[in-house]
Amino acid sequence: MPSIRVVNLKKYFGKVKAVDGVSFEVKDGEFVALLGPSGCGKTTTLLTLAGIYKPTSGEIYFDDVLVNDVPPKYREVGMVFQNYALYPHMTVFENIAFPLRARKIPKEEIEKRVVEIARKLLIDNLLERRPSQLSGGQQQRVALARALVKQPKVLLFDEPLSNLDANLRMLMRAEIKHLQQELGITSVYVTHDQAEAMTMASRIAVFNQGKLVQYGTPDEIYENPKNMFVASFIGNPPTNFLKGFSVEVEKGQTILKRDDVVLKIPKELETNLKEVVVGIRPEHCEVVHNKQENAIPGTVYVVEPLGRDIIVNVQTDRGELVKVFGDPAKIPSVGEKVFLVPHLEKIHLFNPETEETIL
Amino acid sequence: MKLSFWQKNSEKIRNFVIILVLFLITSPILVGYVWLILRSFSEDLVNGFVPTKLTLKNWRFLWQEIKGYPNIWQTTLNTALLALGVMGIEVLITSLGGYALSRYDFPGRSSMMKFILALHAFPAISLMTAVFYLLWTLRLLDTLWGVILLKASLEVPWGTWIMKGFYDGIPWELEWAGLVDGYSRFEVWRKILLPLVKPGIAVTAIFAFLSGWSEFVFVNTFIFSQNLWTLSKYVKGFIGDYRFADYGLVTAVGLFYMIPTIIFFFFVSKHMIKLTIGGVKG
Repeated sequence: MPSIRVVNLKKYFGKVKAVDGVSFEVKDGEFVALLGPSGCGKTTTLLTLAGIYKPTSGEIYFDDVLVNDVPPKYREVGMVFQNYALYPHMTVFENIAFPLRARKIPKEEIEKRVVEIARKLLIDNLLERRPSQLSGGQQQRVALARALVKQPKVLLFDEPLSNLDANLRMLMRAEIKHLQQELGITSVYVTHDQAEAMTMASRIAVFNQGKLVQYGTPDEIYENPKNMFVASFIGNPPTNFLKGFSVEVEKGQTILKRDDVVLKIPKELETNLKEVVVGIRPEHCEVVHNKQENAIPGTVYVVEPLGRDIIVNVQTDRGELVKVFGDPAKIPSVGEKVFLVPHLEKIHLFNPETEETIL
Repeated sequence: MKLSFWQKNSEKIRNFVIILVLFLITSPILVGYVWLILRSFSEDLVNGFVPTKLTLKNWRFLWQEIKGYPNIWQTTLNTALLALGVMGIEVLITSLGGYALSRYDFPGRSSMMKFILALHAFPAISLMTAVFYLLWTLRLLDTLWGVILLKASLEVPWGTWIMKGFYDGIPWELEWAGLVDGYSRFEVWRKILLPLVKPGIAVTAIFAFLSGWSEFVFVNTFIFSQNLWTLSKYVKGFIGDYRFADYGLVTAVGLFYMIPTIIFFFFVSKHMIKLTIGGVKG
C-alpha cells in the first residue's frame, strides 16, 4: 500500500480558494481523517487525491510517484461517497462488478470476487436488487463493497456516514475501522463530525477556510489545540471561551483577572499580552455552591441530563453560557447561584486577536 | 347538523362543473375528429353528422393511384424517412450537446445558452429566403436530405435544452464514481449517464419524429418532385386552390396521416407523464 504525500496543494475555482496551500502526509496503511466545517476544502482535497479535480498548483505523490496528471482510472483508489452514488440502473451485483469490468477481468473471476466481498459485508442476499430497493445502510454497504472489490491501494471516504441515522452510524463507524485495520489499506476519511474523526482515525487533519490548521493524533489535537478554532471544533460539548481576562505575570504564577474573578495559574507565562481568552473544557471544571479561590460565579441556566452524566449550563455574570459536565446524583436547580472552578493545570489561554493558543 | 343540498354535495357539484367546463372546451376538437372519422367512411353526411351510406370508396387511394398524385406508399415512405432522419440527427446531437452544456464550463457557455433560447423563439418562416439560397448552393434543393437537415437544425436548440435539463438532474457523484471505478469520461457518459437520461432521449425522439412527420412548410417550399412528396403535401394537394375538394378523400387521407401520431401517443403518454430520474438517495 502506498503512502500519500501532499505538498502545498492549491485548488481555486475562479476566485474561490477552495484549498489554499495544504501539505500533509499519510503513512502506508494509515487511517487519516480530514475534519472541518462545510466549505473548508476537505472534500476538494479528497477529490484531488482521487484525480477528479486537478490541482491548481502543488504536488500529490503516491509513494514517490507524482500523480498530478494521472487520471483516476490509473490511481487504483476506491471511493465511497456521501450519497453512495450507486448506479440506479444496475443491480447490486452489477454495481459491485462495474469496476472489475473496466479491467477486463474474466467473468468467473468477477463473479467470485463480487460474491466474496458481498459476503464479507453481509449483502450477499441483496445482489439481485436495485439500489432504490435498499435501505440507506444497505446502500452504504454496497458502496463500500464497490470501493473494496477492486482491491484498491488507497481508500477515500467522503462523509460516508452522514446520511445514516445515529445508531447505524455508530455501528458502521466501528465496522469501517475494523475493515480498514484488517485490510491495511491507506485511507483518507473526510468528515465534519469530530466524533467520527476522533474514534476512527490515527491522525486528524483539521481544516478551516481552505487551510490545514492542525495535523496530529486525536489526543494531541484534543489536549493541545493550536488555536480557538480547533479547541471549539474538537470535543462535545466544545471548549468554553471566556473573554477579557487581564494578565499579570508574577514569579511562579500568572494571575488572570476579570471583574472580581481571579484565576491564579501555577505557571509563568511568557507573553506581553494585556488580555487573553480563557478556554475551559466541559470536563475540566467543577460546579460548587460556595465561594472559593479561583472560582467564577454564575447562575444555573439549564440542566441537560444525558443518563451517564449531565451537562450543567451556567451563565456567568457577563452573560456567557458555560457548559460543564456534572454529577447526575447532584442536579442543581435552575436559577441557583453557583461557582465554576476550572482545573487550572488543564486550562488553555488564547490570544484574543490571532486566536492562537498561548498556553 | 343541518346542511343544505349545496353544502352536502359540494364536492360532487364541484367535480361536475369542472368536467363540464373541460368537456365544453375540448368539444370542438372532439367534434372535429368524430366528423373526420364518419366522413371518411361514408358517401356523404346529411345534417352535418348523419352518414348516408357506409363505404370504403374514400380509402381507394390505398390500393389505386389517384390521378395526378404520387403513389401513397412512396409518399408514406418519404414521410417516414423525413421523420426518422430528423429524429436520428436530433437525438445524436442533443444527447451530446446537452451533456456538454450541463457538465462542461467552457468559455461562452452562458451566452450560448441564451442564444439557444433566442434561436428557439425565432420564427423559422422568416428564414425561408435565406434557406432557399443555402439549399440551392449546397445542391440540397428538392431533396429529402435538405429538408431533414433544415428541420433537424431548427429543432436541435430546443432538444439540447431539454437534454441539458435531464443531465442536470444527475448528481456529479455518479460520474465521479464511474471515473474512480476505472472508466474514461466518454465511457462513463455511455455506460452511466446515457441510460439515466433515456426518458429525455425518448421525449426528444418523439417530438422530433412527430415534428418531422407533420412538417409541411419546408416540404411545400423546397420539394418539387412528386416522388419526394410527403403526406402533408399529399393532403394539401386535395384542397388546392383551383380544384373541387373531394372531402371524402381528404378525410380518409387525413386519418391515414394521423395514424402514427395516435399510435405514438397511445404507447408513450404513460411514460411521458411519469418522467423522473431516480435512484440516488440524497
